[in-house]
Amino acid sequence: MHKVFAKYPSMRPWLLLLPASLWLFIFFIAPLFIVLIYSFQTRGTYGGVVWQFSIENFQRTFDPLYFNTFLRSFYIAAITTFACLLLGFPLAYYITTRPPQSRGTFVLALMIPFWTNFLIRTYAWLTLLRTNTGLINTTLISLGILKHPLPLFGNDFAIVLGLVYGWLPDMVLPVYAALDRLDNSLLEAAQDLYASGWRVFWRVIWPLSLPGVIAGSMLVFIPSLGAFVTPAILGGGKSLMIGNIISNQFLAAHDWPFGSAMSTVMMVVMLLATLIYFRSTSRKERVQA
Amino acid sequence: MSEGHAVELRDVVKRFGNVSAVNHVSLQIRNGEFFSLLGPSGCGKTTSLRLIAGFEIPTSGQILISDEVQGHLPAYQRPVNTVFQNYALFPHMSVFQNIAFGLEMQKTPKSEIELRVNEVLDLVHLQGMGKRRPKQLSGGQQQRVALARALVNRPNVLLLDEPLGALDLKLRKAMQIELKALQEQVGITFIYVTHDQEEALTMSDRIAVMSQGHLLQIGNPEEIYEQPTSRFVADFIGETNFIEGTVEGQNEHVEFGIAPNSIMLATWGSDPVPAKSKVTLSIRPEKIDLYTPGKPLPRGSRKIANMPGKVVDLVYLGTDTRYVVQVPGPNKLVVRMQNATSSEHFFKVGDEVTLRWNPAHARVMKE
Repeated sequence: MHKVFAKYPSMRPWLLLLPASLWLFIFFIAPLFIVLIYSFQTRGTYGGVVWQFSIENFQRTFDPLYFNTFLRSFYIAAITTFACLLLGFPLAYYITTRPPQSRGTFVLALMIPFWTNFLIRTYAWLTLLRTNTGLINTTLISLGILKHPLPLFGNDFAIVLGLVYGWLPDMVLPVYAALDRLDNSLLEAAQDLYASGWRVFWRVIWPLSLPGVIAGSMLVFIPSLGAFVTPAILGGGKSLMIGNIISNQFLAAHDWPFGSAMSTVMMVVMLLATLIYFRSTSRKERVQA
Repeated sequence: MSEGHAVELRDVVKRFGNVSAVNHVSLQIRNGEFFSLLGPSGCGKTTSLRLIAGFEIPTSGQILISDEVQGHLPAYQRPVNTVFQNYALFPHMSVFQNIAFGLEMQKTPKSEIELRVNEVLDLVHLQGMGKRRPKQLSGGQQQRVALARALVNRPNVLLLDEPLGALDLKLRKAMQIELKALQEQVGITFIYVTHDQEEALTMSDRIAVMSQGHLLQIGNPEEIYEQPTSRFVADFIGETNFIEGTVEGQNEHVEFGIAPNSIMLATWGSDPVPAKSKVTLSIRPEKIDLYTPGKPLPRGSRKIANMPGKVVDLVYLGTDTRYVVQVPGPNKLVVRMQNATSSEHFFKVGDEVTLRWNPAHARVMKE
């Protein structure tokens, strides 16, 4: 290796990139292309993939039966993102107002639950939310506060709750980072220029924290859109998202080409969303540079 | 302008935990005045400014702006504007938007905003820069934007927190002159926080010297320099000589003794203290004259104090020469003599000399 480096110094960066590139190619790029190729094939009679070109899978994706689930997934992901922002922004702001030495503790407290497996935490919500045997309903009924159990489980509410719980830190951390960079004298300058609390927020704090808000929103929206563990467990098998339908095509229906087509559509949508994000942040950074 | 004061502090105290940042400060700032708060870092000058702006609320005491008690009024309801040390320009707004911000918050009509922003851009020589972002401007230009953003609101009082601190020396000197001219032009009361004594002397109508939260002395630049009332002020403003000694008596002048049989005449700087008290005498290097011993005293010089000495060091500085002179006791005095045409004023190291000064310039202070 040493001799190769010495002989061809210009090769050095490429050689150093080789292991990572190989890994990415074998485990990321190649499967992606397989999915893309599968999506244009046909399902065999007993499952498997028949090598026969077809765009029928994509047509089926836009069949109302599936497309409505697509739209519903967008809707749930959007509500989740909005709820995360509503909860996460004040939390992030609160942390930045703490003395510097205790901020780390808050961030740590935010992260600690995530050292436990996601599946186990989602099942924990199951025991809390279940309609007849869940801890919340049984407690409220035995205390006499409720006569009938609340519909906490097996619906969109449960899914959104589970997703918000799961992705909240991904919202808080980038927003916190953006707010932490905010110079306190800017807030004082706004006050000095006759801006009351809310106006300081909308005219100074919010626009300057926007890069963090956009980053956090992408980090919450994209995984929420493709979620399948949370709707599978907390949706009670009734309330499904697109992630569940895709996983069903692969695991239950053995229709790999159709699953691949839906995955491809999802990826294109997410790619577009990411592109929009990068364009908007790079503009923000140009403004600040 | 009204008869009253632009700003008045009445026995203001500000404590942060156990630390008193501002300690029983009372002062009155006149309308249209260029007033400086001068002191080393941590002396309480910036806290005083923040108390006036409304960013801090006094622990006790009262602050009046235009003769109105401010109490707990938040910063956005006070008729003052601030120029921040780091300018604190909004990075996401253009120069125009930055300057228009205060007017917009006061719901000024759009057409008037446009007019006034352009007017103030002219005033600070930034014509045509309205569309730029703050980051596209040089430090000096950003400083002008910060100034314009405050001035456009036509406040009763403009608060400036070391606004020139981030500029290089040459630009700072130019801006000092410009700021002073601008203040005279707009007629707004300026309260200017600085740790730079030269800056304060150059620009101010009056100066308040602060140390450790206390207000030590208020006066015009000449008073602060010529008649310091405390050792701290004498030391902080310009260069001075301190001589330790005792009060030996008092007739027309204070009789100040530094060694047996060596009595010098001086004037009280601080309040008088009884005879035999230990005191410090302060005299500026340029207030001392050196003479060849035995030479007749100049005419009308009865009130001049004499002291023998010996030149131990000298530095030639062009317009003047800086001598270090050993005098009785442990003291070495710095003397600055102008390099006049006559050669009799030049001395060499080792020369015996007589030091003379006008007792009015030698100020005795307790402690």
